[in-house]
Amino acid sequence: MRKITFGIGGVHPDDAKISRGCAIEILPLPETVYVSMAQHLGAPANPVVAVGDSVKVGQVIAEPAGFISAFVHSPVSGTVKSIAPRKDMMGNNVMHVEIAVEGDEWAEGIDLSSTLVKEIPSDRAAILDRIKACGIVGLGGATFPTHVKLNPGPDAHPECLIVNGAECEPYLTSDFRIMVERPAEIVVGAAIMKKVLGDCRCVIGIEENKPEAISSISKAVAELGYEGIEVVKLKKKYPQGGEKQLIDAVMKRQVASGGLPISVGAVVQNVATALAVYEAVQKNKPLISNVLTVTGDCLPADRQHNYLYRIGIPLSYIAQYAGGVPKDAAKLVSGGPMMGRSIVNLDATTVKGSSSILYLSQKATKRHAPESCIRCGRCADACPMGLEPFHLYRLAKAGDMEQLEANSVQDCISCGCCQYSCPGFLPLLDNINIAKGKVLGIIKARK
Amino acid sequence: MTHTIVWTILILAGLGLLLSLALFWIARKFKVEEDPRIDEIEKVMPGANCGGCGFAGCRAFADAAVKAPNLDNNYCPVGGNDVMKKVAAILGYEVKEKAPMVAVVRCNGTCEARPRTSVYDGDSSCRIKASLYSGDTACPFGCLGCGDCAAACQFGALTMDPATGLPVVDQEKCTACGACVKACPKGVMELRAKGPRNMRVYVSCINKDKGAVARKACLSACIGCGKCQKVCAQDAITVENNLAYIDFSKCKLCKKCVAECPTGAIHAVNFPVLPPKKTADAPAAEKKEDNNA
Repeated sequence: MRKITFGIGGVHPDDAKISRGCAIEILPLPETVYVSMAQHLGAPANPVVAVGDSVKVGQVIAEPAGFISAFVHSPVSGTVKSIAPRKDMMGNNVMHVEIAVEGDEWAEGIDLSSTLVKEIPSDRAAILDRIKACGIVGLGGATFPTHVKLNPGPDAHPECLIVNGAECEPYLTSDFRIMVERPAEIVVGAAIMKKVLGDCRCVIGIEENKPEAISSISKAVAELGYEGIEVVKLKKKYPQGGEKQLIDAVMKRQVASGGLPISVGAVVQNVATALAVYEAVQKNKPLISNVLTVTGDCLPADRQHNYLYRIGIPLSYIAQYAGGVPKDAAKLVSGGPMMGRSIVNLDATTVKGSSSILYLSQKATKRHAPESCIRCGRCADACPMGLEPFHLYRLAKAGDMEQLEANSVQDCISCGCCQYSCPGFLPLLDNINIAKGKVLGIIKARK
Repeated sequence: MTHTIVWTILILAGLGLLLSLALFWIARKFKVEEDPRIDEIEKVMPGANCGGCGFAGCRAFADAAVKAPNLDNNYCPVGGNDVMKKVAAILGYEVKEKAPMVAVVRCNGTCEARPRTSVYDGDSSCRIKASLYSGDTACPFGCLGCGDCAAACQFGALTMDPATGLPVVDQEKCTACGACVKACPKGVMELRAKGPRNMRVYVSCINKDKGAVARKACLSACIGCGKCQKVCAQDAITVENNLAYIDFSKCKLCKKCVAECPTGAIHAVNFPVLPPKKTADAPAAEKKEDNNA
């Protein structure tokens, strides 16, 4: 099997997949869950339950509030206690539905058996409706509603569905574990999405540091015998899992500045999304659970875990169940160490896209005081989008929006390679991100 | 040798004369007729080019003022009524006098009142900090303390107080241009009327959380109890989303609300310090005097 990767830039952080050997455990239910209304990209969902209502597992509790929005389902059975703002992981107020857990009673019509359903429904529109009704969002991190992404419009010509099993972020092993433990379901999910996109080619890309996943997925592909699905081995390089990088690696095509992947005929979906699509279409099970890694460099090897959690379980409950926060943890991060966000409020709840709780030590996270730029150009070498981060940083500091746009700041994918590679510890990405937001606002206002 | 020098001088002088005549003719031919009043107005403007009036600079303001039918929408906050009178005299317009404004800091979450819950080690910029999370205290609304407002102030009127972690407005230097209001990602800064003899009363908090949550995050937060609203005889105070707001156009500076506020979130500034009364509760009222804000 040949190894492929994207063309320019990239860095090689230590992959630190300490929890790779830990099988997925099912997390027990707490007494109360708090379901966030803003679990997806786009408009927050509108709650459709009232305080005092009793809900079952899988029942709709919120409806989408716009085109780019998603359904939210109850992850537990019980009584709605309150609908009120609550602080999320970053400490900002977000509307939450509080549900007191009573038993574990599922809504009707959900198939809870573990038998593999291979036959794919033939009606494309019905599949899309099911994906929308089950509230599936992209689980690779951006939580973009999947039904929108799988329906690129009549003018688009999808040529290749890329299923993203790169998991290039250090520490995270949730995607790796589902690829090892549930490969057949992922492959059926990929086949369903392939069908929706008009029977295009399908490539499952997995990084070379996950040989067990490559063999298990390859075996499942061979056994299930769907046509046009292949597995490719990717070189280990961050940010391999970035949409545009993966398209470059697999299809050798580059998405133009400001373009969407569909403009080069590509649709990228995460392996966890493929699994969620399988469960939604074949089992009618809405997206109410996901796999999360509890790991970190200051957590002993025997306390690493991969949990199948219900959405809405507080992070503090998971941390407690996993043995408490280690003493020498200096920073808690949700998502990977490169692109994740630090957790400042452990009372916040898990959402659809939660993929980890990382306990990182002072040594691993300490930011050095910034020094001056020595024009070494390492950031420009590392940038996978071919930008010049040192220049963008200076422009961002000066607030020169015209030049920032001329230098394509809007193409930045916020991967953090520049900041990671800077020997002067400059806060490159921090400043570029702000400038990117402003420039995107200007571009949007112009349209 | 001498010939060369003479010829050089003559040729260059002739060339200079010829080109200056050409430039003179071009300047006459393509002259842009500009209202002379624009120059006159620009001369009386403060020349700060701060953009507080909503135009790109003083000349842009002058240009707009000349073209506008009246001065209702054009007001230079830096120059204030004095400058606007001069501008109106040049243009022959009436000018509506505006009460002078000043920036106020609507957060009094000092380091003691608002304990830090996390350590921020990123770039020292409020905008970046706000994009990453809600801030290093438990209050998601208040001042982030990185000094974007002080950096935006062109008049040196804002400084960060290291003791409190909050910006301090120098009311003598503040021109109410509004640059700090635009710079603050949290909306902590507000332009308010300076008030008679610079006396003003305002709620120094923008926390919209419920009382208990706000109080837990910050000892001096507005908890939305509504006591100030009840005591106000002028109907100047509204409580919305657990937050009180004093309408400065209605406030008569009676300071009843200041004494009533259980958390000290309402600030009264520049009131003369009264001679201490002999009753026991007099010092408590004086404690609210705050000449810095």
